[in-house]
Amino acid sequence: MIAEETLLNDLKQLETQAKAFEVLVNTYKERLYWHIRRIVLNHDDTDDVLQNTFIKVFKNIDGFKGDSKLYSWMYRIATNEALTFLKKNSNKLGISNSELQDKMVSNLQADVYFEGDEIQLKLQKAIAILPEKQKLVFNMKYYQEMKYEEISEVLNTSVGGLKASYHLAVKKVELYLKGD
Amino acid sequence: MNRKKNKKNFKTPEGYFEGFSDRLLDRMSDIKDNQESSLLPKSDGFKLPDGYFDSLNKNIQEKLNDDIPKVIALNKRRKFYYYVAAAVAAIVLLTIGIRTNAIDEYTFESLAKTEIEDYFNNTELGLSSYEIAEVIPVDELEISDILDNKIEEKNIIDYLDNSIENIEELNLTDYEY
Repeated sequence: MIAEETLLNDLKQLETQAKAFEVLVNTYKERLYWHIRRIVLNHDDTDDVLQNTFIKVFKNIDGFKGDSKLYSWMYRIATNEALTFLKKNSNKLGISNSELQDKMVSNLQADVYFEGDEIQLKLQKAIAILPEKQKLVFNMKYYQEMKYEEISEVLNTSVGGLKASYHLAVKKVELYLKGD
Repeated sequence: MNRKKNKKNFKTPEGYFEGFSDRLLDRMSDIKDNQESSLLPKSDGFKLPDGYFDSLNKNIQEKLNDDIPKVIALNKRRKFYYYVAAAVAAIVLLTIGIRTNAIDEYTFESLAKTEIEDYFNNTELGLSSYEIAEVIPVDELEISDILDNKIEEKNIIDYLDNSIENIEELNLTDYEY
């Protein structure tokens, strides 16, 4: 994998920018796709948000100061884009965030790009009722197997707080799955 | 056996209590330690169209190109007039700017209270009550932070006198002061 620093330098120079951007997209597209997909659930919406994320990264790369890793900066942009997308959607439909989450999970049943069984659908319902932060931590830790330190950089939360959030999230999800 | 004596005889490894909460949180969050972990399916059932990632780069490039406005070269002769017009406009703006700048500076205080309230009402802040509680320490909250008019003790007593027929209805116990 190409070193982050080299990639960053290439991204900031006009001659090498296009090639470097291609490398950037190829390196992070899958990870960011799954991160966004687990927030917005639907493939087409994920595609939109993912493309917007990369466009924002490209346009703002000069403003990236290197205080955090490029990877966590991109994750942060992806998270913000996905959450903003959901907020815009709930405002447009005139419903609350939790009503939107309900609607998104119900839509999964008819989604051609979801082939989960009953348990997997129930898991999505359980995740949908988690508070926003717990939901993010759960997805990042459980599915993406990110380290707490990495999640901490993305969400700007202490490692201790994340561990507690994750524990609570797992307990709530399990409780939901156990119930009828 | 003497309990005190027992306590004296037992020792804990150095730094045991310092790292205790971290280790506990680690254990709590590590679902491998959890018996119920098998309840959670590891895959989530999401799939995506074939070859989606192969065409992603191209799609982003297209979208990026659409976003960047095309540069149209200006007619050379026209350019001169543009420069003159721009220079005149700059001088006018500068003169007006210098005169008005000092007055038009916005400060937090100059914002009307209603504007701030409107902003909070119309903007989705996305803060949960827990997050709000984290930044606002309850101990330092005063009733005057919420209410504009200070309530005097006399007003409270007046209110109670007028509204409560029987003081017993308040159901005060010794602990409720």
